[in-house]
Amino acid sequence: MSETSEPSLFAALSDAVLNMDEDAARENAIRVIRERIDAYRAIEHGLVDGMNRAGQLFEDEEYFIPEILLCSDAMYAGLDILDPHIDRSRQRLRRKVVIGVVEGDTHDIGKNLVKTLLDAAGFEVVDLGRDIPPARIVDTAINEQADVIALSTLMTTTMDGMSEVIELLKAAGRRDALKVIVGGGPVSQAFADRIGADGYAPTAPAAVKLLQRLFEESAHA
Amino acid sequence: MVETTPKQRLLDTLEGKTSDRPPVICMGGMMNASIVEVMNSSGYTLPAAHDDADLMTSLAGAIQAQTGFENLGVPFCMTVEAELLGSSIDKGSLACEPKIAREAFASVEQVVYRDIDEMIEGGRIRTVTSATGKLSRSHGHLPVIVSMTGPVSTAASIVEPMNFYKQLRKNPAAAHRLLEYVTTLLIRFAEESVRAGADVIAIGDPSATGEILGPAMFREYAVRYLNLLTEAVRKLGAPVILHICGDIEMVRFLLPDLKANALSTDAMVNLARLKEEFPQITTMGNLSTYALEWSSPEKIALQTGKLVEDGIDIISPACGLSTSTTLANIRAMTGTVKGS
Repeated sequence: MSETSEPSLFAALSDAVLNMDEDAARENAIRVIRERIDAYRAIEHGLVDGMNRAGQLFEDEEYFIPEILLCSDAMYAGLDILDPHIDRSRQRLRRKVVIGVVEGDTHDIGKNLVKTLLDAAGFEVVDLGRDIPPARIVDTAINEQADVIALSTLMTTTMDGMSEVIELLKAAGRRDALKVIVGGGPVSQAFADRIGADGYAPTAPAAVKLLQRLFEESAHA
Repeated sequence: MVETTPKQRLLDTLEGKTSDRPPVICMGGMMNASIVEVMNSSGYTLPAAHDDADLMTSLAGAIQAQTGFENLGVPFCMTVEAELLGSSIDKGSLACEPKIAREAFASVEQVVYRDIDEMIEGGRIRTVTSATGKLSRSHGHLPVIVSMTGPVSTAASIVEPMNFYKQLRKNPAAAHRLLEYVTTLLIRFAEESVRAGADVIAIGDPSATGEILGPAMFREYAVRYLNLLTEAVRKLGAPVILHICGDIEMVRFLLPDLKANALSTDAMVNLARLKEEFPQITTMGNLSTYALEWSSPEKIALQTGKLVEDGIDIISPACGLSTSTTLANIRAMTGTVKGS
């Protein structure tokens, strides 16, 4: 078999994710290992690049939830193969995010998207799932020494749980140790301001950008 | 001159006839008005009223009497269909609505197809139809609305939703089979409801928004099966209200294809503009439920008045009401429409 150049292999991985092709993601990931190409770079420039492009198509309203879910399946298929081969010394510091859907709401499409895109963007994500009591979200964030709590809801009726999380953090004296971001259908910037959240994002790709911006700001503060 | 009853007014409006003023209603189901204040003062409470036809009847009556909404709406959740189809339900509490605890199937391919005629005899369909009959007999001047969960949302409540959404694209044949099955059940549920005395069938399909599916899949899965259900219900002689969640921008051009008598939308949709663009659509909505929970009666009255001025055909909340919404705010809404 002929040696494939790094750029074309990375492009193939990226395309596999964009085209929702799990098999192609696996095949190309195996070629990365076989050809002794740096797995970390293959993830960054291949799989993550593909997921970023998919996220862009989502923002452009060309891809929708079903497509993004299939893209993320392809990304994880490649990641499963490449991840064990990463040179651990190359790992940069990863910010830890505890993510969940607040109690009362069993919708988690949005949350799953944010999780996937944060994962792709290099955040470490602890996913609590859906319908989670505020106290459990806060306890987990404190125990995990998380940097961020990301909360989602699709229902007006469960928005109070978001403010409860912030109140519990304050009560525990940990409000300043963590950033809290909120999102989901009925949530708005005005609501985020009212409950004292650090930020609001209307879409999953925007949530990633929001966190990147918040940490840039705090790095320069 | 004989005064128009609320039932006649709503039915006229749904038929596209002009009326003295818009009806002000709350359709039940995902958009029910079983607020804590009404439950505490009436003593008819959830979650018990989800399972007991007499309690469901009494609570629906108390909601109508206290809020001033011009209809009776049952049930108070959107889990009746999913429960029947095998999902396990957490019935919630007084203040928290029921939800799917676990979907019946992990994937679209694993769905076990059962005999719908046998199924229809079980579960809470009987509770709903029994309450419908009682309400229809005791409140002749008011329309009884039975609210159902739309096909896509029902399907996404019996199959793990992430798998369901993926299979819409990956395995359309299996997805269509599931949606046909679910729609057949919903048609049977509607038949039983109309037979029991329901005047109007309302459908809410929150998992089938343009934002989630995009226009192509909205057309292929949402419009198709919503219309199948709507046409079957209209053949029974009952009008249909369809509530579409979220922003409709992306699927705006598909809205005239929907066969429902009236379209209800979320708060972010400009209904006056929608009316202008599609004069043939009977519009319903769309007072912000966020405002209903947090704002004051004075502001609610202003916002409601604006909807009436804009010529919105039926005034109603834009989404599911929070159970902590105050009666004063709801009354400001219903009172404003009635005084208009």
